[in-house]
Amino acid sequence: MLKLRLPGLSRGVCANFRIPNPCCYSNSVSSSIDVKPKVPLYLRPPSFSASLSELSMWHKWAKNLASSVGSTFVNLDNGPDSTLLHRELNWLLQDLIELQHHSEILPRLESSNNENLDVRVALRAPLEEIYCVWRQRIEERRPFQYVVGCEHWRDLVLSVQEGVLIPRPETEMIIELVEDVALNNSPELAQGFWADLGTGSGAIAIAAARALRSHVNGDAGCRVIATDLSPVAVAVATSNVQRYGLQDVVEVRKGSWFEPLKDVKGELSGVLSNPPYIPSDDISGLQAEVGRHEPTLALDGGASGINDLLQLIDGVASMLKPGGFFAFETNGGKQCKFLVDYIQNEKPGRFRDINIVSDFAGIQRFVMGFRL
Amino acid sequence: MNVMKSVDRIVRSNGVSLVAKVPPPLPSSCFFMPLKRKSIGYHWQLYCCSVSNNNSDKSCYLTLKDEELMRQCQMTSFKASGPGGQHRNKRESAVRLKHLPTGIVAQAVEDRSQHMNRSSALARLRTLIALKIRNPVSLESYSPPPELLQILPQSSTLRTSDSGPQIGPNNPKFVSGMQALLDLIFAVEGSISDAAKFLGMSTGALSRLILSDDSLWKAVNELRVSKGMKSLK
Repeated sequence: MLKLRLPGLSRGVCANFRIPNPCCYSNSVSSSIDVKPKVPLYLRPPSFSASLSELSMWHKWAKNLASSVGSTFVNLDNGPDSTLLHRELNWLLQDLIELQHHSEILPRLESSNNENLDVRVALRAPLEEIYCVWRQRIEERRPFQYVVGCEHWRDLVLSVQEGVLIPRPETEMIIELVEDVALNNSPELAQGFWADLGTGSGAIAIAAARALRSHVNGDAGCRVIATDLSPVAVAVATSNVQRYGLQDVVEVRKGSWFEPLKDVKGELSGVLSNPPYIPSDDISGLQAEVGRHEPTLALDGGASGINDLLQLIDGVASMLKPGGFFAFETNGGKQCKFLVDYIQNEKPGRFRDINIVSDFAGIQRFVMGFRL
Repeated sequence: MNVMKSVDRIVRSNGVSLVAKVPPPLPSSCFFMPLKRKSIGYHWQLYCCSVSNNNSDKSCYLTLKDEELMRQCQMTSFKASGPGGQHRNKRESAVRLKHLPTGIVAQAVEDRSQHMNRSSALARLRTLIALKIRNPVSLESYSPPPELLQILPQSSTLRTSDSGPQIGPNNPKFVSGMQALLDLIFAVEGSISDAAKFLGMSTGALSRLILSDDSLWKAVNELRVSKGMKSLK
């Protein structure tokens, strides 16, 4: 599935650095409980260096490699074009070089100024490794977020790595629904247990916890339980929770959907989830960054993509307390309508204010409502 | 206000099905801005506060808090093609804000999250409002408003101890002062020396202030060129 095409020079470094491909990864983690989360590039110490001329040479090479892509990936599977790859290259540089040197170093890489080319620049990874990961980005279509080990999502920077779904911009809106709909309508929901099911990186759980906290004084009574079946996700989510100092608010539990939540049955104030919702047959046609590298467990929602969403609807009917709120992300309008019909026909009198909400691109994306 | 009902309203105006259909009562202090059906995206605009309804005082857009200004905007992301969501990894975090009362559009693509792009776009929108929305100024009884005094150098004789230290272009409060300064420069039809007199400072000092911000400098020069005056350099 993944071909290793490494330049002779950096083979050794690359092999050491390389994360095992996702297949091996999931095998190895299912047998061991201890998954050590990787440190994202931007948090590593700047203990390496290169001369400005070496860095410029790398930058030129990386830019040319990105330019050579043109619109090939767009035509192939609607992947990234050169413009986006150039933007990612800038973000890679931002993570590689210490913030206080950005204004001095980054413009130099774009200019033809030849002064002080032998000045040393402190880097958070050896330059050989950066050659290697940029090649992986382009040639193997490894997602940029796995390359730098983080994703910027809302006002958070979350660690991500192979085995964990990269949080999507669309999902940012779930937090808006919590703040603008749930908490504004029922402020008392800020206290009590919330759940983020299939938390992955912990994105929804962490952002929701921060939103809940800002609605009450301090942490009093705010609790979020994040569940995930994948041990890698549990490890990564736990470390993200700690990095945001929320270990007293967010608890990460391993298990499938509501299964680890039996102790809070009927007591939940809110349930949020971005479950797998892509129909199985669509998985093979996904853009390479997603289909080849992200965990199928987090994407594949069964034949029509709706298996897990139906389980979640069944679950919230009994897990939420009366007045409790839920919001789920879906594949789009078809799934949204199916779920609303399902709720009306199969769960009559159990919910109120069931709504479909569109994402910023105008696609009907979320189903939300309150338990009666 | 009942936000649940306002969300119903947004959802409905968005052409989306919903179960609860209760028309929202309009709070007396607010008015509801009708939304066009053809536009796509989640509409942030719930209510416009009554202050912004007062067209004779457009300068108040800049005094609105971020979330208040955001409510006057329609926000969309750029790409509407394809299924999006879990299908995509394209960092489609770009944001486009349309300020509905003025039609001014601001966008941001360079940040890594939609949330941050929204902040950048909102900051850009404030600058654009300051540059494009002109308020009438009465020269007979002119005295510079406090937000303008804040951006003037200490050499201005009209500054008082309440004016505080001079605020530069990197401070978010600069745009309000910039808007008031442009209002005055437009009122004196682009004459820097006339404007300087109203501000108790020398022509050179005012020129330096204008040159300190590229967008301000461009706006002043556009006006001067249209009046047949030479550009400030």
